[in-house]
Formats: sequence, structure tokens, C-alpha cells
Amino acid sequence: MDTQDLVTTAGMAYIQLSDKELETLGKAVEQMVDFFEKMGEVNIEGLQPTTHAFIKKNRLREDEVRPSGIADEMLEQAPDLEDRFICIPNVL
Amino acid sequence: MAAQTRPWNETLKPEGIKAYKQFVAERDKQVASFLEFDPLRAQGTSNERAAVSTKSKTLEGLPFGVKDNIAVKNFHLTCGSKILESLVSPYNATAIQKLLDAGAVPVGKTNMDEFGMGSSTDNSAYKTTNNPHDLTRVSGGSSGGSAAAVAAGLVPFALGSDTGGSIRQPASFCGVYGLKPTYGAVSRYGLVAYASSLEVVGALAKDITILENVYETIKGLDGRDQTSTDPNDFPLLKKEVKTVGVLADRSGLDGMQAKSLEISIEALKKAGFAIKEVSLPLLDYAVPAYYTIASAEASANLARFNGIRYGNRPIYSENPDDLVRQARDQGFGDEVKLRILLGTFVLRSGFQDQYYLRAQKIRTAIRNQFDRAFEDIDLLLLPVFPIPAFKHGDLGMTAFQQKLADKYTTAANLTGLPGLSLPGPVLESVPVGMQFMAPAMHEHLLFQVARALQSSLPSADPAAYPAVYS
Amino acid sequence: MSTYKSFIGLEIHIQLNTKSKVFCSCKTSFGDEANTNVCPVCMGYPGTLPALNQEAIRKGYAVAKALHCNLAERCHFERKNYFYPDLPKNYQISQFAAPLGTEGWIEIDYQNQRKRIRIKECHLEEDAGKMIHAGDMSLLDYNRTGTPLLEIVTEPDLEFGDEAEILLHELRRLVRYLGVCDGNMEEGSMRCDANVSINLAGQGLGRKVEVKNLNSSRFVRKAIVHELERQAQILDKGAIVLQETRLWNENRDQTETMRSKESAHDYRYFTEPDLPPFSPDKEFLASLDKILTELPLDRKDRMSKAYGLSAAQADFIAEERPFADYFEQTVKLGADATNVAAWLCGDVQKVVNRENVAVYESKLSANRFASLIKLLDKGTISGKIAKQVLDLVFDEDKDPEVLVKEKGLEQLTDRKTIRGLVDQVLANNSKAVAQIREGDQKPLGFLAGQVLKESGGKADPRIVQEILTEVFSLK
Ligand SMILES: [Mg+2]
Ligand SMILES: [Zn+2]
Repeated sequence: MDTQDLVTTAGMAYIQLSDKELETLGKAVEQMVDFFEKMGEVNIEGLQPTTHAFIKKNRLREDEVRPSGIADEMLEQAPDLEDRFICIPNVL
Repeated sequence: MAAQTRPWNETLKPEGIKAYKQFVAERDKQVASFLEFDPLRAQGTSNERAAVSTKSKTLEGLPFGVKDNIAVKNFHLTCGSKILESLVSPYNATAIQKLLDAGAVPVGKTNMDEFGMGSSTDNSAYKTTNNPHDLTRVSGGSSGGSAAAVAAGLVPFALGSDTGGSIRQPASFCGVYGLKPTYGAVSRYGLVAYASSLEVVGALAKDITILENVYETIKGLDGRDQTSTDPNDFPLLKKEVKTVGVLADRSGLDGMQAKSLEISIEALKKAGFAIKEVSLPLLDYAVPAYYTIASAEASANLARFNGIRYGNRPIYSENPDDLVRQARDQGFGDEVKLRILLGTFVLRSGFQDQYYLRAQKIRTAIRNQFDRAFEDIDLLLLPVFPIPAFKHGDLGMTAFQQKLADKYTTAANLTGLPGLSLPGPVLESVPVGMQFMAPAMHEHLLFQVARALQSSLPSADPAAYPAVYS
Repeated sequence: MSTYKSFIGLEIHIQLNTKSKVFCSCKTSFGDEANTNVCPVCMGYPGTLPALNQEAIRKGYAVAKALHCNLAERCHFERKNYFYPDLPKNYQISQFAAPLGTEGWIEIDYQNQRKRIRIKECHLEEDAGKMIHAGDMSLLDYNRTGTPLLEIVTEPDLEFGDEAEILLHELRRLVRYLGVCDGNMEEGSMRCDANVSINLAGQGLGRKVEVKNLNSSRFVRKAIVHELERQAQILDKGAIVLQETRLWNENRDQTETMRSKESAHDYRYFTEPDLPPFSPDKEFLASLDKILTELPLDRKDRMSKAYGLSAAQADFIAEERPFADYFEQTVKLGADATNVAAWLCGDVQKVVNRENVAVYESKLSANRFASLIKLLDKGTISGKIAKQVLDLVFDEDKDPEVLVKEKGLEQLTDRKTIRGLVDQVLANNSKAVAQIREGDQKPLGFLAGQVLKESGGKADPRIVQEILTEVFSLK
């Protein structure tokens, strides 16, 4: 994994990396990625990936409206509100 | 318990509350297990109608602690992270609601490694929790606050979450029982997701009966969690334990850990269980597969924290991208950033097959190996962590060493199988626990063996914190 | 431009009209006060989980079936990862590797030819919120977040802008027939992106340009026409078309480069661990038939054959399901189909347009309409009177028979009475009579008109004509 890979990855993850972090976190990430290479030793031929621990039956919800009743409470948690809108700076 | 103790269900009564608050405040000055403690805040949030039918005599009036990644209405929900410092939960997790309806009362939020990422609780953005048996040592993690609070006698039980060992490891470090239920047995609704396909809500307690009652109360199918499962959909393979498997290869264990395991095997034999050696060679791949999957899921699960709808936001930002980057930069600790980067990387096109997909296939292989092992045994005895509770900071383990040490705990998360960590013998200053794993939805086998070993391996109170309530 | 072959594929998002959102129990609605239909799940609160709405997946499968797709025996959801302020979780729950429907088709009538457009896939996903730009701030409203969306992706089988517009129209008609979406592009319940490329004939697909912000079918057509021209000009110069995303600027009637995104998107799709896969069982598959109905184009074909309608009439009548139902119901009540069609497409349409109401919801119930046409068929009233009666139905909200009786509007067929009127008219128009007698038949029509006028429009024109012919011994 090279620096460009790390920078691209950080960009996708919206993680800002200072030069120092690029160094320290970069090393830590690389250490883990190297460690993951160990997985190459396992023969995975014919194996399906496990995406869910147990799949038993279809799970569906009735199409019913149940208002949360806490919309206002949630809006109060927003750092910046304008009327009922949550506010962020615009790109100019 | 000693005769001078007071019953737990008196703590929240008008005549007992003041003494209880004082007691917790006093003890927690040293242990630092709670991030927030307010025994009266949850009043009136139980569903009275449900309460009539589900109120459990054994849990009625019991206070309990809640790991700070489980939503309790009106309490903070920081997950040990700066980014959620200001967040107050507007809702209750399903497990919390069920406990409330059974008459138990959440009294506070316990410390944890940020978003569950760590094995020491030193990765909390707020404080360091100390092991009640030896304050210079960690309580384990990531549910270290819950384990320490139970061990120090502050609450009879606490909820935790187990993604890769986060209940069992701190339980074993602090000398209490820690149950990681079968994946899906307990609803995850209200558990802040770190690695969704691996984790589950569980509990820690000193008393095996309380633990079992808590589990019986919180388990069950939930409409809000479609990955929750109905126990009836699992075949009942065994009613009771006869044969316990132990790993043939027990190398790589610290002397104390090996000793704890030998003591446990002797205790099992004495209690009449047959012992059978098994080999699980794929266990060596559990940690890389686990960290690949956990980081990948975490990278998406933690994407929602962006400082827009709730949580901390930078004072000034130029545009939305800048706002989100700054919020995440200032809000996340290094370990969290590391795992987000790692998880983002292993999901990238061009890398996904090599890492993420391969890890999921190894997960399948490990599961198959465990399924085969359980054809010959009823339970599997495993160490929890290769070494006992370690020292804080540089005297302890590096972050990388801690990850490697998750070998024995991550298997239960990769396979979805239940695991119970038992209080082990106190060797030197701290207890050294061990764990049992069982087939899916066979928690009853875990409780059975725990009861059988109760007298030979009791949960010992820390010398400095004798029981005041029981 | 004629030397190039064009390839156009559409990605159409339709909002499924479930009562609650796809993964939570909040109301789906348009135009409510900001951030009122929200809950911890759709606001992306920590600890919340999605719970799949059974009607969303049912309607999704129903559309896929109507589009002749292979229905997935097992589909699952995936996380599509990208950061955007209107997307609370910063990933969209969507489908990728195993969408609910694949490899289908839809037919359109384009330039009097039936053409089959292949459907690549249909997948279910969640809608994002809305971001409104207001000066140096952007305002976020999450009411729309979590509205179920079915994304329908076509193969690049379209070639022209107007063809794409027709496809959209056909699809809109289809989802409205199924009753799963109102197809309103202005309100965003149906949205469309277009992938446009051109290349020298025989050289396969060109470099794909994605065009977004097409919030009406007219814009889809105009944007494609513009984009085809733009790309042709580039190729004419020997240059290469840049593979990019462009936005339609409706004020300037052109596509424009979207603010450049540094790198191509890597959405890092992976299986949604919070939702188990879905495998439709027999019962579920059977339930689709309750939603499925004869599709618009099939209905058009059947009706034009069964009732001898012209292509234009059949198209018009098949446009809306309740409209076509109304037509067939009227015919079933015994009215002559040709007359029903002619009236429905003509005078009735004029009246309901004026009244601003759908005919099937108007005072002209199918029963009233049928009896009106039957009065006409039997010759009880003339066409002219029928028009009056039609107006009266709307004015007085009464049945046509009642109105005809009350107002004495029955057609006058009594030869004696008509003969009397004819004589009277002839007496009053001696000049015209003389003209005819001299061999100029031109005033005959005028005289017939006068007779009808004298009768208050009630005299049977056929009989008037016959009597006039007799009088002048023209046979
Ligand atoms: Mg889409
Ligand atoms: Zn909602």
C-alpha cells in the first residue's frame, strides 16, 4: 500500500490526514494490511462468503405509519438550525 | 454474601437512593467506570402496560449500568467518542426497553473504548477505567466500564456489547460473568453499530442467576432488528452438557492463563464432565478475518458521524466537505481513524476480493470447522485472552499486540456462536477468566456449566471493594 | 451526424407509493413542513436499524414482473458508500449484485413501429433527503429520506431524444396502471438520468456521458438531442468525447459539465449486514398478481381490435387505467363502442376539460354516458340534442333520460308534423323554392336547416331530408 493509496482511501473516508498522521496512521494501516496477507494461506475454493451469521426466514415489516413523535427533539440536537431546516455552509 | 450487605432492590427506593448515590460516587472516584450516573433519570420510561405482564420478580427494582454505545432515552450516547459528546439519545434500545418493562432501572452509562474499538477501555475519549482488582491495570475492553462497575459492586449487572470479545475479555479481566449471546438472539436495535454482522448485546454480572434472568429478559425476535432471530428456528441439539472440548494446542498462552485453564479443566472433571481434545487449526486466521470484516463494516457504520444532524461540529467551516472532514478529524481518535481507513481500503474496488471477500470466505471455513467440532462435544473451553489484565499505557500491550490477542474471542463473533466468560482464579493480583462456547442458541448449556463450576470458581470481590449490596 | 449511431440508456427512479418509508415507519409524503416525517432510523441516528417494508418490496417485484424481468429467487441489499449531506448514513441502502429483477423488456410505439427496449435491471433503494441552497447556507430537509425508490435501468437500446421521451411516457403509464407510483416528474416521484453515447456505425458503444437533472420528459428529450449534437460535433472534429457526468441547464437549453469530481466514484458496495436476504415464497409471488393488471400497450391493442378503434383513439383511451375502465364499462352497458369512443375523445373531453375533472370522476357516470349514447343510437335524440343533454348532465346532475323527458327533447319523427313544418318553411322562402324549381339544388340544405330550426332542433334530419326530396320530386 503506497502513500497515494492511503491518500485516496482517506479522501473516500472523509478522514483528514496531517503529515504526521500520514506517517503514523499510514504505518499502522500498512502493518494491518501486511498482517491480512496471512489470509492468503487459506484455501477458500468453493466457499461461499458469510455475510450474515444466521439466515432463517424472510423478515418484513407491515406498511404502517407510526409517527416517531420525536422529530422536534431530534432537531434540537442539530448544531445549526434555521427554522425547521438543518443548516450547513453552502459551496459558493 | 456477607450478612451486612443490603439488597439491591433497596438502592432506588426513596429511603435508599441517597446512600446508593453516595456509595457509587465514592467508589467510582477510583474505578472510573461510569461516564454518567443518574439513578432517577429513567423514571417513568417503562411501558406500564407491558410491565404488568413481563415484570420479572428477580429484576424488579434492580439498578443496572449500560455501556455507552447502547441507547437509553435521555442519557448521553457518546460511545466513548468526542464526536458524540453532545448527543442525548431520543430513544431506548430494545434491550433497554425490555429491562425497563421488567422493572429494572438503568442508572448510568459506562465507559468504553471509542466505538468499541479496543481491549482496554483506555481508548475512551473521556477517561481511563481502572481494574477494581488492581487499579494500575486495565479493566479490559471495550465494555471495560461495565465490567469494572459490576466487579466493584456498583451495580448487580450491566449491559455490554461484544463485537470481537468486548464483553468476555473485560469480564475475565475483572472476575465477573460475561455473556455474549448467539448472534441475533438479542436485538441490536439501539446498539451503536461498529461491526453489524459480528456484534451482539450481552450482559455482565457477578451472579449467574441474575445474568440468566437478564438474558431471558432481553432476548427475542424484534421487529426493529430484522437480523434478530427466533430461538425456535434453531434445532435443540442438546439439553445438557456431558462433554467439554478443550484445545489440543494451548501454546502461546501466558503462564497464568495456562494455569487458569488447567484449574478449569480439573474443576470440570471434578464436576463430572468428560473432557475431549479438539483441534481448530483455522483459529489462526480468525484475527485477520475478523479485523478485515470488522473494519470494513465500521468504515460504513461510522460514516454517519459527520457533524451535521447531531454531535460535535467544527466552529467554522467553508463548505460541507470541509465541515465533515473537520468534524471527523476533531471527533475521532486515532484507533477509530485507523480502522476506518483500513475498512475503506479493504472495500475498495481492486482490493475487495483480496481482502474483504476472502475474509468472508474464511469466516465460512471457520464456521464449518466449529460446526464439525460441536458434533463431538457439547461445549468448548477456550482461553479468553492470552494474558491477564495488563497495565495501563506503555507498560501494557501495543495496539497491534492487543489485536493479535483477540484470537480466542473473535471466533464466537465470526461464527455467531454464544460464549460465556467465567470468573477465573485470582492469580497474583487479578482474576484470570476463561470462556465456554456453545452451539447456536444453546445458552442454557453455558449457564449449566457455569453453575456446576460456581463453587470451585466463584466470582471473587476485589479486596478493596467488598460487596455492600447483594 | 447521420454517419453516427447513437446509444441511449435511461436510469429511471420511481418512488413507490407505500404509506410508510422503505426502512422505517415514517409517513411518505410530498410537501409537508420540513423535517416532520422523521425518526431516528431515517435521520441516521446511531444504533438504529433498517426494517424492510413488505409493500415496498412487493411493489418493486410487481413492476419488475410487469417489465418481464427475471425475478430474483433471492435478492439482497448492499450499502452504496458515498458522502453527501442529504444522505444521513452517508451510504445508501440499495441493491447491486442481486437486484430483485433483471433482464426484462418494455415495448414502445415509436413512429408507428413497435420497438422493444431491454431492461437491464430493477433494484430497490432508499431516497435521499433534500438540500436547498440559500445564499451562503444550505438547508437540509430529511422528510424524503427513506422513501422507497425503484431504479429501472434500461440497456442502451434507444437512439433518439423523442424515443426516450416516449419510453418515459410508456413507463409512466405502466406504473400508474399498476398503481405503484403517480409518475409525477415535476414533484420528483419519477426521475430520470440518461446515458448517451455515439459512435461510427458498426463500431459499438461510444464513450458514455451521463446526463442528470432531467426533471421532465421534455427535458429528457431536449437534453438528449442537445447531447447527441454536441458529441457529433466533437467526433466531427476528430476529437474524443470526455466520459463524464453533465447536468441539463433548463435555462440555457444545454448540458454542462458537473462540478468536476476529482476521481471516479468507488462506491465500495458490500452486502448490507443489517438486512437479511429476501427470497420470495409462493404466497408472495401470488400476491404480485393482485397488483399486476393488463398493461397499457396490451390494453390498447386489445381495445382497438375489440371495439374497432383508431390507433389515436385507442392510445387516448388506454392512457389512464380508470379512463379505459370507464370506456369499457360504458360499452358493456350497451352503448355503441364507436359512438362511445368518438364522443369520449371529442365532445365529452371538451366538457370535462372545461369542468376540470376526470370524466370517470365526473357527473357523467358510465351509466349516464351509456344511456346518453343509447338515446342517440336509438334515434331518440339527435347528435345536436345529445350535446345539449351532455351539458345539462353537468349543469343539473341528472340522468340523460330524465333530462330528455323533462325538457321534451325527444327527436321529432312524426312525418305529419314535420311535413307541416316543411310547408311553413317553403311558404316563407319562396325565392329559394323558385330557385330549386329552376333546377338549382343549392338552397336545399338551407331549407332543411330552417326546418330543423323551426323544430327547435328536434326534427329528425333524415325525415326532413326525405320530405324535401319528395316535395321537389327529386327522385
Ligand atoms: Mg440509484
Ligand atoms: Zn423514519
